[in-house]
Amino acid sequence: MCELIENQIERYETMLREMWTESAKYLGTFSVNLLVERVVWELSQEYKEIELLQYGQDGITCAGLAAGLNKNPDLPVDDMFVKFIIRYLEILARLLGHEKTEKIAKRLNEEFGRIPFDSKEE
Amino acid sequence: MPANLLLSISVKYWQDFQDTLAKVMDANIYIFDVNGGSFSRFSRPVELCQEVNKGGKISNEKCINFYKSALGSLEDKDMLTCPYGIRLYAYRLGTYAQKIGFLVITPTRNETRVEGEEKNTFVTKANSIYQTINEILKAILEKNLLGLRRLELNSIYEISRLMTSIVELDKVLDLITNSLIIIYKVELGFVGLREGDKIRVAQAKGEYGHLLIGKEWPMVQPLIEQVFSKVEPSTLRIEELMTLPGLTGLEVAPGNEIMVYPLWTALGAVGLLGIVAPVSLDDNGSKNLQIYANFAAVALANAKLIHRLEREAETDFLTGFFNKRALRNLLIVEIERTTRYGTPLSVIFLDIDDFKTYNDTFGHVAGDVVLQKTAEIIRNSIRLVDIAGRYGGEEFVIILPGTKEEGAVAVAERIQKSIEAFPFPRRQVTASLGIALAKNNDSVDSLLERADQACYQAKKQGKNRFCLDPS
Repeated sequence: MCELIENQIERYETMLREMWTESAKYLGTFSVNLLVERVVWELSQEYKEIELLQYGQDGITCAGLAAGLNKNPDLPVDDMFVKFIIRYLEILARLLGHEKTEKIAKRLNEEFGRIPFDSKEE
Repeated sequence: MPANLLLSISVKYWQDFQDTLAKVMDANIYIFDVNGGSFSRFSRPVELCQEVNKGGKISNEKCINFYKSALGSLEDKDMLTCPYGIRLYAYRLGTYAQKIGFLVITPTRNETRVEGEEKNTFVTKANSIYQTINEILKAILEKNLLGLRRLELNSIYEISRLMTSIVELDKVLDLITNSLIIIYKVELGFVGLREGDKIRVAQAKGEYGHLLIGKEWPMVQPLIEQVFSKVEPSTLRIEELMTLPGLTGLEVAPGNEIMVYPLWTALGAVGLLGIVAPVSLDDNGSKNLQIYANFAAVALANAKLIHRLEREAETDFLTGFFNKRALRNLLIVEIERTTRYGTPLSVIFLDIDDFKTYNDTFGHVAGDVVLQKTAEIIRNSIRLVDIAGRYGGEEFVIILPGTKEEGAVAVAERIQKSIEAFPFPRRQVTASLGIALAKNNDSVDSLLERADQACYQAKKQGKNRFCLDPS
């Protein structure tokens, strides 16, 4: 896997970890993992590699996904992660309400750049 | 086809597949969702369609209305002619129980002039395309269904685990509403708990969740009576739901289904579970949700029971105050806070004067009234942050966090004067009070001992007064 994709995955992993940890503060680990499982299930219709995302009581990691990319280096990594984040935040907004979800999206924005969360989609 | 919860397909990937199939079969294919709205684009260029619709997607209003109306009344399959004269072969996709959408197949050239054998060949080809697409979509649906069932099972597993481990009511309520939103993508999920003769909404999540929390509905309210008149869920119309008190401002988008599950256990009705969801569940889905509701009922009943037992274990039945054990536990916390942050802490020990004589003369029932009234006077004389409890017999302890000597003296004096002035039945009642301020290295015993000693001094000095611990 080329260094560029490796860096991309690493950046998204940090972002997902941050998102997982922030959500777990409000929802607890079980609900957050159920939410991740739901989004993975939905997105796997389009990107089956997303099923390689590992998550559990200790958080979320892209290690398996990164390894899987060796077999499919053409995977549109950005598209996949952006869709994952959008769907995750959409459901999160129903669970936590606009205010808290926007707070999480804002915090992620500060650290990672633009997070595509539109509160009107709630 | 987003109208179907279970049929989540990437349009991009589907279009690639559909276009390839259309090319191989030399036919034009396009697909509509269950509401007759377009899902995919035309696979191959049809000159007339391209002209009318300015692209691969149907945009002409005449066409849109035609498809909505024609597909809405389509039984199984039919041959139709569009407003511009193109002959179409239309098929319903999915099964009778699980509708997926509609498939439209046309020849790549205008078929109106084609008759006979060529027409028959195309009908056979169209049927083959239909069989292929329908089987693929049904397979996707089945796969998705398994994914949904896995989510449901995970959640039911967690609820059942909670029944034997976590008994905190708030956590159980959160888990139930979170799971409903995550699994079924419900617009609104709420749980009402039975509290005597009413239902109180203890948790609600979703767009209008905040409107429901804390709302109370009497058990005799006709809709609530209807919900609890059976064990199965009730499907409600928005007008019916709005008959419940306090739901002004609640809106439900068209097409959403409102379901209310009564939560029953062997002990009776524990509450209700309500959902507003954008899709109808099939038979299996409804059964799973019913299992989920049953587990939720037992988990809630357990949590409520434990919550009540815990509250009763630390409450004095007669006065509703904390009992001795709870008071001592709370005092440990306050002493720790004082030691850590250096904030002041005062304790008042109160003993009703000559209570034994009052009890012996007027009876225990009259004595109980004195204890209850004294507790009421204490409650009305302290702040919300202060802690009061019955220490035993006719003794009360009041913990005043963040309070120095002057504040504690003011509280003690207020209580003493209020008791003295209160018109107790039969005769006047007074109390003696001792005040102690927490010191470094104080323990619960040493602090209470000094407050008790100061109270003893007050008794010794003639009762109906307060004394400050001199040490």
